[in-house]
Amino acid sequence: MSLLDPAFLRRLSQLRLLARRRFAGASAGARRSTRRGSSAEFADHRPYYPGDDVRRIDWNAYARLEELVLRLFVAEEDLSLYLLVDTSASLGEPAAKLDTAKRVAAGLGYVALTGSDRVSVWPFADSMGAVMAPIRGRKRVGSMLRALDALEAGGATDLSRAVDQLLARRVRPGLVAVVSDFMDPRGYARPLDRLISERHEPVLFHVVHPEELDPTPGGDFLLVDAERGTEVEVSLDGRAVRAYRRRVAAFLDELSGYAKKRGLFYGRVATDADFEDALLRYLRAA
Amino acid sequence: MSLLSPWSLAWLGLLVPLVLLYVLKRRRTRKVIGSTLLWEAALRDLRAERPWQRLRPHLSLLLQALVLVAGAIALARPAGAGQIPAGARLAVVVDASSSMAAVEDGESRMDRARALARSYARDLPSGGAMMLVAAGAEPEVLAAPTADRVRLESALDRLDVGGPGADLEAAVALAAERLRDAPDGSRIVVLTDAAITGTIPLAASVPVEVSRIGGAAVNHAVIALDVRARPAEGAADRADVFVRVARYGEGSGDVRIRAVTEGGAELGARRVTLEDGAPLGVVITADLPPDAAARGSFVRVSVEPVGGEDALALDDVAVAPSPAARRLPVFLVGDAPGAVRRVLAADREVELYETSLSRLAARDDDAPVLDGLFVYCGEAPDDAPPGDSVVVAPGGDAVFGVALGAPVERPTIVSWEEADARMRFVRFGDVHLGAARPIASASVQPLLTTDAGPVIASLARPDGETTIVALDPADGDWATRPGFVVFFRNLLERARHRRAAGGIGEGALGAPLRVPVRGDGAVVVRTPSGATRRATARGGVAVVAVPAEPGVFVAEVDDRELYALRHLTDAEESDLRPRAVFARSDGGGGVATVEPVEHRESWPWLAAILLALLAIEVLWGTRRGAPA
Repeated sequence: MSLLDPAFLRRLSQLRLLARRRFAGASAGARRSTRRGSSAEFADHRPYYPGDDVRRIDWNAYARLEELVLRLFVAEEDLSLYLLVDTSASLGEPAAKLDTAKRVAAGLGYVALTGSDRVSVWPFADSMGAVMAPIRGRKRVGSMLRALDALEAGGATDLSRAVDQLLARRVRPGLVAVVSDFMDPRGYARPLDRLISERHEPVLFHVVHPEELDPTPGGDFLLVDAERGTEVEVSLDGRAVRAYRRRVAAFLDELSGYAKKRGLFYGRVATDADFEDALLRYLRAA
Repeated sequence: MSLLSPWSLAWLGLLVPLVLLYVLKRRRTRKVIGSTLLWEAALRDLRAERPWQRLRPHLSLLLQALVLVAGAIALARPAGAGQIPAGARLAVVVDASSSMAAVEDGESRMDRARALARSYARDLPSGGAMMLVAAGAEPEVLAAPTADRVRLESALDRLDVGGPGADLEAAVALAAERLRDAPDGSRIVVLTDAAITGTIPLAASVPVEVSRIGGAAVNHAVIALDVRARPAEGAADRADVFVRVARYGEGSGDVRIRAVTEGGAELGARRVTLEDGAPLGVVITADLPPDAAARGSFVRVSVEPVGGEDALALDDVAVAPSPAARRLPVFLVGDAPGAVRRVLAADREVELYETSLSRLAARDDDAPVLDGLFVYCGEAPDDAPPGDSVVVAPGGDAVFGVALGAPVERPTIVSWEEADARMRFVRFGDVHLGAARPIASASVQPLLTTDAGPVIASLARPDGETTIVALDPADGDWATRPGFVVFFRNLLERARHRRAAGGIGEGALGAPLRVPVRGDGAVVVRTPSGATRRATARGGVAVVAVPAEPGVFVAEVDDRELYALRHLTDAEESDLRPRAVFARSDGGGGVATVEPVEHRESWPWLAAILLALLAIEVLWGTRRGAPA
């Protein structure tokens, strides 16, 4: 189903209402910046240097200390949301995974745009795809949805490279929503750590398919990796299925444990479940 | 070593599909998934969990091929090495008594013994020889030591159940004698149901192995039968059928006892409950009139369990002559002494006909055969008539070929044959004889002997017997003594009994019929089941081998029919429970009985299981397959 489908758009509107009900009173775009600015909220003092805005000299402090100091305030700025959407071939097997990833990204972007935040779309596979430049305002929702809707699965997963390319653009620190199945042979920890080190806040949305979590026993299969082409001969007997389930459980625990350890949000989105649930969990935690 | 089932080597053909299973790739469904990373890790886990190192495929194939070859060879039943050494001899002694006809689990003990003996024959090693001895009442070598399996098979085909009794001791001794100089490793195998009471000493010169066949089968049997006349008012032919039946086996059971005439007329039936080891007597009263030839019919009694089991059929039927046969025609020939005439006429069951030699000689050849007891007084024909006869005070120098001596006055009685039925209750202690003629022939059996020699004797012939009384009873005081009357009544009773038995001497179940025949004619015998047996007489007797079958055998000889009764009525034989104790004849201890070992038969089963498991393993490992 297209992201521009009226039914999906209605679901986005409902999502916005749900988000508003939860965060009633929050002003649009009122997110505290890590940079100090000119808002009314005092942050600190610093010595006055020639060229500084004389309107910010704290005269009361001068009267007591006989030194010119400037009053520093917490800057109020709009939030940058980077939608890092995995479009590797693994999201295309089955196709419902990429569809779910698009919906999650669309939901996040919609909430951000209606809140006057800046949103950009960064599709990636083995390299960064066509980036949608940052947009802002509710009127740009359509542009975002069209950009997401046009994404197609293909290529291998290389999150490290995608993060490197993102950071190479020297973008403003912000929320980096990584929507992926995290099936990266090179791992996900290093690129996510790098985002954190660059003062970004990664948010992890893990897209999974039920058959990946709990395969149906029975049958002899030659499993082919959609990204690497690797072939694995498997007979889905009880032992094999049990071993696979243990591996899946370990992988999920490892990923959620990593996020918890670094204070990151981790939301699992199954293709057969409502994507709004994961978004609302995130919004409640934000 | 030989292969008993060489065709089982066909299992080696499985090598082809076995190799193919390794050569052919397993057909798998190709399925593209997002990532195989977790599957690869899971399969690594599976391999790590295995307690043993996975064999390389080629080694696995080699091992499986070896197992297949071993299994196929096992199915081919290699034999010989574990049996008797090459060149040694094996004597198989098979109990051929009636109890071996007992059927258990659908198979008779004899069939089981025959199959075991056949397996021994098949298992003979190269250079080995086997002999087969049937242990009946008399041991019989069915096959001398031979390696010729055709001869052994032929001998086994002739091995069958005989009458009561198995002289295992004599049979083993006979086999031991044949194996006396046999190489080391030779031995005797006795196949018996051990349904014999007592201890049986077995020859110790050759190792003996006793294999017991059969178990404690339940059996019901007729162990005695007699039919006695009991004339009643208005029922002169009434008789009592005395039957004694028994159950051998734990517990109790109901049986139906049925009495019929040999012609099929129903006489009566009873239903009784039998306890183990407690024989029960039953009396069935019936009217048994004689037939047109003044002969009585034969009474056939059968016992049949009601809803129970009965392992042996041979003892379920017994036959006996009916009392009507007691009406004995007696042909008094010549001038009989008054005492003789009186004693014959006094017997109410004697139909006395007085005649003479000349009248007998004048009879037409087509006239009916006179069937009865001939009593010749003074003169006798040159040849004895068929059947029984008595010659009293014979004249001439000989009677029926038996030479007579000159008359001796008042000979002193020396002895008499008390054991003979004719001399039963007869005493000569105070008897004084007049003139008597000593019977000077070794071919007779003396019954009364004087200091001059035998004066009363019995001459046995194939077709009858003649009692020669070489004295005049009236000459002396014998005719005035009760013993004289008893003697003639005994003669009549004996003749009546022999006639009632049909003219052929009694014999045990399965014993051959010795049919008296004039000349060397042919004899046809009908068995109770309707089969026929033929034999040619030699020396006046035709020996007809008949099956161990209870009932009335009818022999057609010359222009008459003779009858022979055969039944078991042997409590010892009807008790099928193993109880014999075997011991070494040299006092060297007991000989243990063992169950027939079926190890050769189990190997094929084990091998088949082995092959089945192998097939499953191969199928699982190459087609269904553990994770690669």
